[in-house]
Amino acid sequence: MATKSLEAKMLGKNVGRLFLQVFLILVGLLYFAPFLWMFSTSLRLAKDSFSLPPALFPTAFEIGNYFEVFNKVPFFSFFLNSFKVAVVVALGNVIFSSMAAYSFARIRFPGRNILFLVLLSGLMITNQVTAIPQFILMAKLHMIDNTWTLVLLWLVNPLGIFLIRQQMMAISDSYEEAALMDGANRWWIYSRIMVPMSVPAISVSTVLWFVANWNDFFRPLLFINTWENMTLPLGMTALTGAVGSGNYSAVLAGVMLSLLPCVVIYIFGQRYLLEGLSTGGLKQ
Amino acid sequence: MNKKFSDAIAGYLFILPVLLLFIVLTLGPLVGTLLLSFSKFSLLSSSRWVGLSNFFNLFSDARMGVIYGNTLFFVFILVPLHVIVGLVLAVSVEGLTKGSAKYLFRTTFFFPVLATTASVAIAWGMMFDTSFGLINWFIGLIGAKAIPWLNSPVWVYVAVAIFSLWKFIGNSFIYFLVGLQSIPVELYEAAMLDGASPRQRFFRITLPMLSPTMFFVVVNLIIGAAQIFDEPYFLTAGGPGDSSRTVGLYIYETAFQYHNYSYGSAVALSLFLVILLVTLLQFKLQKKWVFYGN
Repeated sequence: MATKSLEAKMLGKNVGRLFLQVFLILVGLLYFAPFLWMFSTSLRLAKDSFSLPPALFPTAFEIGNYFEVFNKVPFFSFFLNSFKVAVVVALGNVIFSSMAAYSFARIRFPGRNILFLVLLSGLMITNQVTAIPQFILMAKLHMIDNTWTLVLLWLVNPLGIFLIRQQMMAISDSYEEAALMDGANRWWIYSRIMVPMSVPAISVSTVLWFVANWNDFFRPLLFINTWENMTLPLGMTALTGAVGSGNYSAVLAGVMLSLLPCVVIYIFGQRYLLEGLSTGGLKQ
Repeated sequence: MNKKFSDAIAGYLFILPVLLLFIVLTLGPLVGTLLLSFSKFSLLSSSRWVGLSNFFNLFSDARMGVIYGNTLFFVFILVPLHVIVGLVLAVSVEGLTKGSAKYLFRTTFFFPVLATTASVAIAWGMMFDTSFGLINWFIGLIGAKAIPWLNSPVWVYVAVAIFSLWKFIGNSFIYFLVGLQSIPVELYEAAMLDGASPRQRFFRITLPMLSPTMFFVVVNLIIGAAQIFDEPYFLTAGGPGDSSRTVGLYIYETAFQYHNYSYGSAVALSLFLVILLVTLLQFKLQKKWVFYGN
C-alpha cells in the first residue's frame, strides 16, 4: 500500500514536471520565433521580403541586404555614437552614483534623508515631463544635434543610487572604523573599501542603465537631427526611411545587426545582473 | 575642525555632482514645465504670461479625454499582464531542476529586453501586417480570418499588448526570479513537514515573501505604462484615428511637431501630477499588503 501511494506521488510529480517543461518549451518557442523570422527574412531577395509563406528558416541567402544597410545610411557611425553615449553614461553611473550612494549610506550630514528622497522622486519625473524645458535649454546653449547632450541628460540614475546605497548600508561598520583609526580619509574609504565591496550592486545598476540608454529612442528623437549624430535606435528610422518599402529585407538586416551588441551585453552582463539584484536586494 | 563639520562637508561633496546635475537637468526643467504651462512661449518671438488659459484649453480639449482614456487603458491591461505572465514564467523556470535548462529559458525570456526597442518594434510592425504578416499567416493556417492588428481600434490594443509582453516581460520576470531565489528554503521544508499542499505553499509562503518585489515591480510598471511612447509610435502612430494615441505621444506631437511648447507643457504637467498621485497612493496602500518580514 505504502509503496503504491509513493509511486503514485512520484508519477504525479513526473507528470507535473513534464507539463512544466512542455509549457516552457512552447512559450520559449513563441519568444524565439520572431528572431528566427527576422533573420531568415533578412536574407531574402528584396522582391521576396513579404512573399508567402513567411520564412521561419532561411530560404535564400541574399547577403547583399547587409551591405545595403551600410550603403544607404551611415550605419557604422550610428553604432559608434550609440557606443560612445552608452559607455560614457555607464562610466558616469559607476562614478557619480556610487559616490552619492556612499554619502547617503555612510556619512551623517544635515538634510541627508530629505535630499535622498528628493533624488529618488526623480523616478517619477519622467522624460516627457522634463523634455520641453530641456529642449529649450539645449537650444539656447546651441547643444541640439550633439551626442554629448544625450550623455549629459543620462548622468543621474536615481535607481542606481538606491541599489548601491542598499548594498553599502549592509557593509559592516568595522572596516570603516579600522580605516578611520589608521587615519584614512573619506575618499580612501570610498574608493578602497566601499566600491570594491559593492561591485554586485554597481554592476547591476550599470548594466540596467546601459541597456535603458542603449534603447532610448525618445531623447535622440528630440535632440538629434542629422545622420552623423544619430544613435542606433533613431538610425533605425533613418534606415527605414532610406530603404523602406523598397527592400524590407534590408531593414531587417539592419535589425539583426543592431541586435549583435545586445547579445554581447547579455553574455557579459547577465551574471552580474542576477548576482547584483539578489545581493543588492529590493527590500525597503 | 570638528568631526561633525568635516563629515557634513564630505557628505555634501560626495553628492555634489549628482545633486548639481539633478537640479539643472531634472528639477529645473520640472519647474520650467510648470512655468511654461502658464505662458505662451515661443523660441523665436517674444513670450508672455497667459495665466490658466492652457489649462482651460486642456479641460475643453475633446481629444484629451480620449487620450487619457487610452493611456489609462494601456496601464490597466499592461500592468496585470506583466505581473501575471512574469510571475508564471519566473515560478516555472525556478521549478526546473537542471541548471542548463534554467539558463536557456532565462536567456530566452530576458533577451528581448536588451534588444534595441526601435529595431524589434519595426520588425513587429511587419509581422503584424494584415495581408503579408507572419502572425496572420499562422492564423490563416488554422483557418481563421486575417486580423486587422494595426488597423482596428480594438485590435491595436491586443497588438501592443503582445509586443509589450514579448519585448519587456524579461523585466518583471528577472525581478520575480531573483525574489524567488531569495526566499529561504527552510520555509518550504517546514511547510512540507506540516503537510502543506503546493497551492498553500504558493499562497502562504511564495506570494507574501515576494510582496516587496511585487510592490517594486508594480510601481515601476505603472510609471512605465503611464508614459508609454515607443510602442504606439512605432506600431500604430497613435491610430487608427486617435484610438491608440497616448499622453506621451500627444505631448511629443504638440510640443515638437506643432511647436506648441506651452500647451505641451500643460499636458506634461498633468501627466506628472497623475503619476505622482498614483505613486503616493501606492506607497500609502503598501502597508496593507506588502510583507517586509522580521
